[in-house]
Amino acid sequence: MTHLTMEQLLALREPGLEPGVQAWKDHVAECDVCQGELLRLDQRTARLRALPVLKPSRGRFAEIQGLTSRWRFRRRLAVFSLGGLALAATVALAVVLVPGFQRESATAELAEQEELDSIIARSRQLEDVIQTFDPDRRVTDGRTALVAADLEDRVARIDQQLQVMNLVNARARSVEAVRLWRERLGLLDALVDVHATRASFVRY
Amino acid sequence: MDVFRLANADRVLPGVKAGDPEAQEAVYRAFEAPVYNLARRICRTTEDAEDVLQETFLEVFRSIGSFRGEGSLWGWVRTIAASKALMRLRRNKYRDTEELQDEVVPIRRDDAALRMDLEAALERLNPTSRAVVWLHDVEGYTHEEIANLMNKTVSFSKSQLARAHARLRRWLGEEVPA
Repeated sequence: MTHLTMEQLLALREPGLEPGVQAWKDHVAECDVCQGELLRLDQRTARLRALPVLKPSRGRFAEIQGLTSRWRFRRRLAVFSLGGLALAATVALAVVLVPGFQRESATAELAEQEELDSIIARSRQLEDVIQTFDPDRRVTDGRTALVAADLEDRVARIDQQLQVMNLVNARARSVEAVRLWRERLGLLDALVDVHATRASFVRY
Repeated sequence: MDVFRLANADRVLPGVKAGDPEAQEAVYRAFEAPVYNLARRICRTTEDAEDVLQETFLEVFRSIGSFRGEGSLWGWVRTIAASKALMRLRRNKYRDTEELQDEVVPIRRDDAALRMDLEAALERLNPTSRAVVWLHDVEGYTHEEIANLMNKTVSFSKSQLARAHARLRRWLGEEVPA
């Protein structure tokens, strides 16, 4: 007598009725050997399901959370890069177009504008440096990840403030923009330090 | 294995979507073990499994906005984990060592030893067969779903499962003498 193959036995356990399955079922009903095989197959599957759940040697949430925060930060940064440029352009335009703006303190405003341009350019450079560290792909310890995430959150809060500034008048906007961009630059500097330190530890 | 679920998923989901660390941690704690277990059963090393664990949750937290709640959260997370684990298998391009594995025939009788034998036998299957066995028999995926995940045909999944069970049967000493 020809017994069922493993593939045929497995097909008996699948939902639905494939062609030929009924004949195999009929065979099993009358064949002790195939009944035994089917029983052992069921038992083997049950034992597989009963294997102990393996657990990781340590929790990884801190790293995952740090990487997730940084990803959100970089996504916001990408959106802000466009908004930031638009804002810088708006501030520059205000210097030229707002009546009385140049008359009152043209020299001071131009110096302010130059500083703002310089800070924005430096910010862009630091953002590029941070990207070169490719932090999303690096394995990092939880503490470093949290420090980086905190700095990124603070930069993100400043970015929000800069975007809200479009609602205030041009003069106040110019002064406040310089202050916020300075603070942003300081945070980005600190962030570069964090990534550079971590990269040097990884190297050694 | 499908008993894993987050009791208060509906309450936590908006927080996860907003990037709230506490909500993210609740999801991580609920699914850390089953995700790692699935990854470890499919991947060859603990390092690979830990990488899959990390990649899975990064993907979960980045893509949570696309989860519409049409199935269970665990089902969605598990599919991401399975996909990442299979991707890791493909990336590593493990060599098929089935011929060597065939030489190992452990036979034990008591339950504890039997379970250890099953662990060892499962570990000795080639990675693709082991993944199919685990996804089908333990995680409950259909052959169609496995074929989709592996980018293979349904017949491939079925034949891998049959070959794997034939080997497990032999290695576990369950073959009935002809």
